[in-house]
Formats: sequence, C-alpha cells, structure tokens
Amino acid sequence: MATPILSVRDLHTQFFTDDGVVQAVDGVSFDLFPGETLGIVGESGCGKSMTALSIMRLVPEPGRITTGEVRFRGEDLLKKSPEEMREIRGRDIAMIFQDPQSSLNPVLQTGYQVEEAMLVHDKVPKEKAAERTIALLKQVRIPAAERRVKDFPHQLSGGMRQRAMIAMGLSNTPALLIADEPTTALDVTVQAQILELLEDLNREIDTSIVMITHNLGVVAGLCTRVIVMYAGRIVEEGPVERIFDNPQHPYTWALLRSIPRIDASRHERLRSIEGLPPDLIRPPRGCRFHPRCPFRVERCFTDDPVLEDVGPEQRAACWVTMKRAYEEMGARELVDVSPGSASGVHSAAKDG
Amino acid sequence: MLSRGTLIYIGQRTVLIAFTVLAVSSIVFLGVHRLPGDALFSERMHGNEYAARLHYYHLDEPLIVQYRDFMLGLVRGDLGESLVNKGVKISPLVARELTVSAEVGAFALLFTIGVGMLFGVVAAIRQNSWLDYLLTTTSVIGYSMPNFVIASFLLLLFAVWLGNVTNGAYYFAIGWTGTYGNIGEIWLPAFALGFPYASIVARLTRASMLEVIRQDYIRTARAKGVREALVVIRHALRNSLIPVITILGPLVIGIITGGVVIENIFGIPGLGKEFAQSILNRDYNIVIGVFTMYAAMIGVANLGVDLLYVVIDPRIRY
Ligand SMILES: Nc1ncnc2c1ncn2[C@@H]1O[C@H](COP(=O)(O)OP(=O)(O)OP(=O)(O)O)[C@@H](O)[C@H]1O
Ligand code: SF4
Ligand SMILES: [Mg+2]
Repeated sequence: MATPILSVRDLHTQFFTDDGVVQAVDGVSFDLFPGETLGIVGESGCGKSMTALSIMRLVPEPGRITTGEVRFRGEDLLKKSPEEMREIRGRDIAMIFQDPQSSLNPVLQTGYQVEEAMLVHDKVPKEKAAERTIALLKQVRIPAAERRVKDFPHQLSGGMRQRAMIAMGLSNTPALLIADEPTTALDVTVQAQILELLEDLNREIDTSIVMITHNLGVVAGLCTRVIVMYAGRIVEEGPVERIFDNPQHPYTWALLRSIPRIDASRHERLRSIEGLPPDLIRPPRGCRFHPRCPFRVERCFTDDPVLEDVGPEQRAACWVTMKRAYEEMGARELVDVSPGSASGVHSAAKDG
Repeated sequence: MLSRGTLIYIGQRTVLIAFTVLAVSSIVFLGVHRLPGDALFSERMHGNEYAARLHYYHLDEPLIVQYRDFMLGLVRGDLGESLVNKGVKISPLVARELTVSAEVGAFALLFTIGVGMLFGVVAAIRQNSWLDYLLTTTSVIGYSMPNFVIASFLLLLFAVWLGNVTNGAYYFAIGWTGTYGNIGEIWLPAFALGFPYASIVARLTRASMLEVIRQDYIRTARAKGVREALVVIRHALRNSLIPVITILGPLVIGIITGGVVIENIFGIPGLGKEFAQSILNRDYNIVIGVFTMYAAMIGVANLGVDLLYVVIDPRIRY
C-alpha cells in the first residue's frame, strides 16, 4: 500500500476551561493516502473541526494539543517551529471554512485575499499573481471574474464567497486540502452547486482532501473513505460503500437511519438519534455512546471499546457491533431506538 | 474611493456646515448685544467722543440694521473690526489664530491616534502580560486626569523641577516663540491635550482588537500562512479601527475645546487664547469671530471623521 501523505496518531486536543478540561479530540488516529478524499462525519461538537485545526496547528485559546503526532509527508507537524508551520499552511495544507460570510476579511478586496495566499509563499511573481487570481476565480466558476476581484466580500453572494474561499485554498495547489463543512452555511441550491464544483475539482486536481461534514449525502458523493466521530473519538472507519451498506457501529447505524429517505412514506417521521452528545469534560465511563445506544450490553457501561477490524478495511469500536445486533437483537426491524431498547439492558447491573 | 455619492455627500455637508456657522454666529451676535458692559466706554473720554466711536462701529444703528450688516459681512468673509484695537480687521486675525489652533490640535490628534492605537494593539496582542497591565494602568490614569492637570504637572516637571534638580543645567523652556512654535515647543501641549484621549483610544483599540483577533477571517489569514505581524497589521488593525472611529467625532471636539485651556496654559497664540482674551477685553466683535471660527472648525472636523468611515470600511458608502 502507498505511504500515507498524512498520518495522525493518538491526537489529543484539550480545552482548559474554568469548568474543567474539555477532551475535544481524544486519541484520534487515521491515515490519508495521496489523491484520496476522506470524509469525517459526526454530530455537532464531536471534535471534527478541532481535529482539522489541530492538523493546521490553529487550535484557538484555551485549547492545546496535548499529545499525539501529525505526520505530514513523514514529518511530525507538532514538532515544527511556528515559522516552519506558517510556511506549510496555505502552501502544502490549505483549509476552507464553514462560514464564507465571516471567513473573508470585510475590509479587503476579494481578489486581493486570494492573491495574498500566493504572495505570502512567493509562489508566483507579483505581476503574475493578479492574472492567476482571475484564472482561479474562473476555475471556481465565478462569473465576470475580472470585475469581481475588485469587489469586497459584502458585494458577493454567499455561494460566490465560498467559491472565492475555495479558489484561495487551491491557489498554491496544496498537497492536502481540508474542507470544514464547506456547504453547511449555504442554502440548498447553492450547496448543490458548490458540491458539484468540489466534485469536478476533485477529479481535475491531484490533491488529497479531508472533507468534514455532518451531511452524509456529501460523503456519499465525494469521498472514498469515511471516518465517523463521536465525542472526540473515532468510532468507525472504512470505505464509503462499506460504511453505507454495512455499518458496524450502532452510532453509524443510527446516523444513517436519520437521513431523510426519498422513498420514505409521508407519515414516517424523520428518525433522529435520541439523547444528547455527552459532556466532554466528564465523558461517560465505558463506551461513550452507551447512554444513547439501543444495543448496549453490561460491558458497555464499564469497558471502553477500541477500534477493531470488522470487515475489509473497516474498523469499529464496539463490543456488540451491528452484525450481532442484526442477528441477535432484531436491529433490522427495530422501531423504538431508545437506550437499551434492543438489548433490553436499561441500566448497569449494580453488582458488576 | 471618492465615488459620486461621496462627493454629493461632501457637498451637502458643506452647505450644512455653512448654515450651522451662520446660525451659531447669529446666536452669538444677538447674545453679546444683550450683555452688560461696554468695551468702548471710558471715563477718560470727552464730549462726543463716545458717540463718535459708537458711530464708527455702527453701534448707534437699530439692532436689526446692525444684524443685517453683520450677516452681509459674514457671507463675504468679513467679521468687522476689533472694538479695542481700532483698525484691526478680525477676519485675518482669527483666520491666522485658527491655523495655530489647528496645528496644536492636529499634533494632539496625531498623538492621540498614533500612541492610542499603538498602545491598544500592543496591549491586545500581549494580553494579560505585564506589558498589557502597564499600558492598561497608564491609560486608566490618563483617562481620569483632566488635561489642565496634566499641563500643570508638565510645567512643574520640565520647567521647575528639572531645572532645580540639575541646578539649572537643564530645563525646558516652556512657552511659545513665534506664531507656530517649533517641534520642541509643540509636543508638550500636544501631549497634555492628547493624552486623555489617547488613553480612550488605547482602551477602545485593545477591546476591539481582542474582538477582531478571534474572528473567522483572522483564522483564514493564518490558515493561508500570513505572518503574524501582517495578520495584525493588514487583517486585524483596520477592522479594529471601525469602532474607534465612532468615538473620534466627540474626541476631536474634545481636543478643539480642550485647546482653549491648553493654549492659555502654554501661552500659545491661537484661537483659544484669543477666546479668553477677547472676553476679558469685552471685544465683542472678536468674540463673535472666535465663535464663528470654532463652529466652522468643529463642522469640518466632524465631516472629516465621517469621511474616515468610508476610507476604513468599504461597506460604508454615502
Ligand atoms: N473555545 C472553546 N472552549 C471550550 N471548549 C471548546 C472550545 N471550542 C471547542 N470546544 C469544544 O470542543 C468540542 C469539539 O468542537 P468542534 O468545533 O471540533 O466540533 P465539530 O465536530 O466541528 O462541531 P460542528 O459540527 O458544530 O462544527 C466541542 O464539543 C466543544 O465543547
Ligand atoms: S453496543 Fe456497547 S460498545 Fe457498542 S456502541 Fe453500544 S454501548 Fe458502545
Ligand atoms: Mg465544526
């Protein structure tokens, strides 16, 4: 197998707040291979953005990367000096953010902001930068790009701003592009356009992509492999088809069930996962998903599951896994997905 | 930058300033004519000398005629003659004094904005360091000291104590030689005038800088690989100035009016000194002229501040 361009090992990112230490990223490890598009999915607050920002070493205060390794092209980014890291940002690893409304500087011309991404890394001579900016804006299909470069962000629509952000990200043809929910803040039709653009660019350029989203449709359309995160950890990973057709972690299973289906009858209500994401200062003992899991068994209350192979290139962190849930707990016919409903374990045995 | 809309806006505001100036001088004109006391009368006058002087200044005419003549003069830029020094035309006098005051005010403003911003930015990017505490404490002190206290303290420090301590070897000649002074003479009054306002600017810049530095677009700039110094200067500073401009209007007016006190303390021959002098002399024509100049100066300064918005924030267009 090819060597990964990015390998994250046992990454821990914590926020030191007045209420305690928030374990935002808690022992995340994964590999990304050249040319691959990796999806990271999970509910709000599960640590997707912080994983991405940790790779960029842009974790905001009071957050800190406490331990782990982020190997990019074989070198640990966490050991780089701030200046070395600055040179890598935007040149070798670029990032696109969720909200194009607030991610562009309101007082600088859009074209300049794209141009600057190239100029800070001396990638192109100054005279060529303006030209290349227009070419990039055309590539992301901004109409009348020659005029738009002079516009300030507030003069552009949300979709156009996100296109400009994408142009900025691509300007130095980075080896790795991290897109943190690039379509979430846009309305549905614009979302579709931006996704289409990303799909096309994905085919045209030779950049590895990490695509963070909580929209599983995005994953299905763009990604080759997917990581499912829950409460700061990876709970399942594998190739997209495997995860979609045969999820093994109950959380992934529930997540997939919650996608509105076109063939669903009108009266079938949208199924979501019951309960709230856990408190990351005092996470639940045992499996972090146990307070919400319909398939939990006694062991889940006390023992922390680790990622194990559950199929070809597929790994999940679960004591039960869906295979057993289907076979022994009738998961396929399950209607009520409340905690413990399928396994009948509603609370931990007192006498462990 | 100067779009058609902006030019129209400047035109409208200029007309408005002109009317404000006319209104202010009218009120002052009518006001001083109701005041008791007389600059022209003297016990040493004989015969019809007093009547002759009244006649010379047209003060024997009905008030409405005087007012008409005053207004006609004003629109031509003629503010009449000094009541005390016969033959001295007021317009060129106050116009020159205006430039002196503007000079002091401009230096004070430069100091206010320059030092205020610098302190604010440094305190923000070194948040919670000893430097931040030092700068923040300094600005609280500056903010709570009136300018005349600072001015008196500076006099004491540089003109008295410095000389005493060094047995007269070093001292600072505080005063004002010539019309416009020189760099050595201007910085002390500019400091006294600007320091309280610099403190306000510093506090505000610090707060808004701390706000701006957390914004998403700053993260974007860092993600692009922009150097930290440039992140602050190019991406954060201009955005953090937007709330600062909001207080610049009142602040400039504070500097203009504060100049009256400072000019008198430092003996600067500007509008502020004339203001006090003319009132003591009961030279009502000059009083009117000084007020007229102040009204114009405040109007223009406010317009300048409003135009700054356009320069700093592209989202604002008039
Ligand atoms: N400034 C902060 N102070 C304290 N905790 C924080 C801070 N920022 C993030 N966190 C914690 O880090 C956790 C992970 O946040 P992160 O932004 O990575 O979530 P996410 O998966 O990207 O969610 P979303 O889908 O909403 O973007 C959150 O649960 C939150 O509790
Ligand atoms: S079955 Fe147990 S280990 Fe698996 S997800 Fe549910 S609670 Fe966690
Ligand atoms: Mg996020």
